[in-house]
Amino acid sequence: MHRLIIKKEILTSLRNSKFLIAGIFLVALMLVAVLVGRQGQQLIQKERAKAQAEMHDKWVNQGLKHPHSAAHFGHFAFKPKPVLSFLDVGLDNYTGISVFLEAHKQNEILYSAAQDGNAMTRFGEMTAALVLQFLFPLLIIFLTFNIFSKEREEGTLKLIHAQGVSAHQFLIGKVWGTYVMVLAIFIPIICLAFFVLDHSSSGIDSNVNPKFISLTIGYALYFLVFIFIAILVSAFSKSSSFSLLTSLGLWIIACIILPKATASLADKIYPTPSQYEFRKTINEKVKNGIDGHNPRDERLTTLKQNLLDEYGVSTIEELPVNWGGIAMQAGEEYTDKVYDQEFTKVENIFKKQNRLSEWSSFINPYLAIRHLSMAFAVTDYDHHVAFANGAENYRRGFVKKLNKDMEVNHKPGIAFGDYNVGKEMWDSIEPFNYQLPNASTIISSQWRSIVSLLFWLIGLFFSASIFSKNISKI
Amino acid sequence: MNTFFHILRFEWKLLWRSNMVKLLLLVMLGVGVYGIYFGKFEIEKQNIRIAEVKNYEQAQFDSLLNWVNLDTSNIANKANFDKAVLPEGAGRSFHFTYCKTHEASPIAGLCLGQRDLFPVYYQLNMRDLTRQLNTGELVNPMKLLNGNFDLSYVFIFLLPLLVVSLFFNLYANEKEGGTLSLLLAQSKSIDIVFLGKGILRYLIVLGVSTLLLILGFLIQGVSIIEHANLFFQWFQSILIYSFFWSLIMAWIVALKKGTSISAILGLGIWLILTLISPTLLNLLVSANKPLPNRTEVRHTVREINDKNWEAPKSYVFNKFHAENPQFPKEDTTHFYSWYYAGFSVMDKELEPLIEKFESQVNSRNNLLEKWIWISPAALIHEHLASISKTNRKSHLNFVESTKDYHQRLRTIYLTKLFSKENFTEQDLKKLQDMSRQ
Repeated sequence: MHRLIIKKEILTSLRNSKFLIAGIFLVALMLVAVLVGRQGQQLIQKERAKAQAEMHDKWVNQGLKHPHSAAHFGHFAFKPKPVLSFLDVGLDNYTGISVFLEAHKQNEILYSAAQDGNAMTRFGEMTAALVLQFLFPLLIIFLTFNIFSKEREEGTLKLIHAQGVSAHQFLIGKVWGTYVMVLAIFIPIICLAFFVLDHSSSGIDSNVNPKFISLTIGYALYFLVFIFIAILVSAFSKSSSFSLLTSLGLWIIACIILPKATASLADKIYPTPSQYEFRKTINEKVKNGIDGHNPRDERLTTLKQNLLDEYGVSTIEELPVNWGGIAMQAGEEYTDKVYDQEFTKVENIFKKQNRLSEWSSFINPYLAIRHLSMAFAVTDYDHHVAFANGAENYRRGFVKKLNKDMEVNHKPGIAFGDYNVGKEMWDSIEPFNYQLPNASTIISSQWRSIVSLLFWLIGLFFSASIFSKNISKI
Repeated sequence: MNTFFHILRFEWKLLWRSNMVKLLLLVMLGVGVYGIYFGKFEIEKQNIRIAEVKNYEQAQFDSLLNWVNLDTSNIANKANFDKAVLPEGAGRSFHFTYCKTHEASPIAGLCLGQRDLFPVYYQLNMRDLTRQLNTGELVNPMKLLNGNFDLSYVFIFLLPLLVVSLFFNLYANEKEGGTLSLLLAQSKSIDIVFLGKGILRYLIVLGVSTLLLILGFLIQGVSIIEHANLFFQWFQSILIYSFFWSLIMAWIVALKKGTSISAILGLGIWLILTLISPTLLNLLVSANKPLPNRTEVRHTVREINDKNWEAPKSYVFNKFHAENPQFPKEDTTHFYSWYYAGFSVMDKELEPLIEKFESQVNSRNNLLEKWIWISPAALIHEHLASISKTNRKSHLNFVESTKDYHQRLRTIYLTKLFSKENFTEQDLKKLQDMSRQ
């Protein structure tokens, strides 16, 4: 019986010329979004990889230098453009793309695209994600708003009941019928996206396939949730136009109003500190100690005394090691601790703000797919933090190595300009090689969105079986 | 004319009795007021921050003015006295951190525009300006992506939806309700009836929007009388924008389609004009004219720095004196003159590179602006942001005035350094006066 209903639904949709027009329009949009987006992604990734290689080249060929001068000369880290970012650009336009790595300082990740854009930028970019998250639900509404009310208006609902089809069977049949139609548009296009995606960039992103599949499953579940909601609305509406207006109203609230309102609410609940406060706290903690009672001068004096005691000498000139290198590394490690504390504080505030929106996906399934999609495309905030940490660890690694060299090899008594190292040293520092988070990390951090999608599905199946007997009473 | 008012009056009664219309207007008012409060909240947050940094700066000035008068025969006072008078700064820190702030226009809260993207204050010392301008406020990128729920957003995105929902069943309702034939049987032309219905709906939309606009000014504490021109500019924009949407809906009504088709058509046009066309335009422009990678600026900074430090001091001095002949040339060994002149040379050398990037960015943005008309929503947003001085242009003006300020400060510092003089109380007071302007 199910199969018959599904077949009937598919036939009706195929005969519906408006559905066909809307479907073709969406397919065309998706095509443009996927192909042009893919081209843009490739262009950007190529440029960044090139810049990264160039900067490493400059590093290796910087000539003879004191190791500490080299630490100041510094290095750059470029954020790779994730392979799947052409499907969902996520936060990519609002986060910086590169960071300068130098001694003593954790710098900001700079040069976001949005800062160079005009007001148009705020309208966002056409991507597959936009089509799938915003426009597919509309197509679904379009397909389903009169799926029940039409039968009701035309009097066929009673006839079907008389054939022995239960309301529940009928409803589930319509859900699957619509789902087949939606998947018939979705699957070819997503397959196309899979074929054009940049498989050659697996160097930065080894997990593209599992991410892509998870993304696809996520969208497939999202469509099912939306179909269920739209069909239930239609089933319980007296007239087609009432059904349409209700579904559209829900769409506007879920996709247009709530996401913005949630984000602004999150910022109110978990206020963000200002850059000025942030920098001031860091400077003060470095200067006066993390607890405020351990100033820099005292830290250095203690360190010096301990070192003198260890080697049993009375002045730093008598030390067999370079005091400057040791002091510098100790300073580095202290500021690292401060940076870790303060940066984590801000990151945690942002993460809490985002969590609020993830939890809201239990009220609004659109938010669930939005977070999931960004996460699997690796364009979400977690990824930005992962990149920042990767770059910062790289910085700490090479600065430490240079300080160590200074400590051991720059013997006391040799003037600053007289101790230099060269290419061998620069070569010994590996190029910055950042790996995007793998699929399992993403899944474990996105469990809220995944659970909420499943929660929606199960809840909708249940409510369909409980309430479907009331359909015929309306 | 009498009949016309008659139509208006009865149509009003009909609409007023419809719970749907009441609900719609209530929702519109609700989100509008939320938007006003949100904008107010954001701008107040920025204003508080601006006041904080400014107060901190002035407190630091007060300390300097205290220290400059310390009795240096007491050795304990020496350190603070040095902090006040040495233009190069005492103990490897800079003499002073200045603060340049970008005050919000009184109505910025109605349209936050790009103001959340750009820093609203810069903290400056006498190093190169380039690196000091490369900073941003701490913002959750997720919030930037979502954008601001301010009054302009309500007008740009939700007002057209209100128009669509008031208009879509104008014809179909009569037809589906069976009253159309009654109307057609009247002696007056049916067009007058529909014209009346349309005008009334337009007036309702305009009324709600004007009410929101007035509330916006009142809640944000902006006097409408004092800023009558701003109010009028906003009003004008809304008047035109809602008229534009009413026209589109009038056209849909004239097609004489059923309720569902009219609603879908209205929503479809809304989608195309507010969502699809701007995003498509952005996609095409950014794929064909990608933004330049500004990292090159930061790289050039280190190259220049490297050269300045590796070469003999005369390298910097020669470049500096060629640009600034007014400074004395005698001493070519003084460390701090060399040190700060180096930053001036760096800024100068970076100018062409930065200009190159700016012109690339501008040509991309100009391309976008040339096509902005394909989305009336984007057009009106840009317009409202420029009235409220929250667009990119206003930020660029702020950057320009920061550059100018930094240049004036630099001249004062370099004059002192090259003539090897210290700051006097008079000098510090003059600097404080400059900082208050």
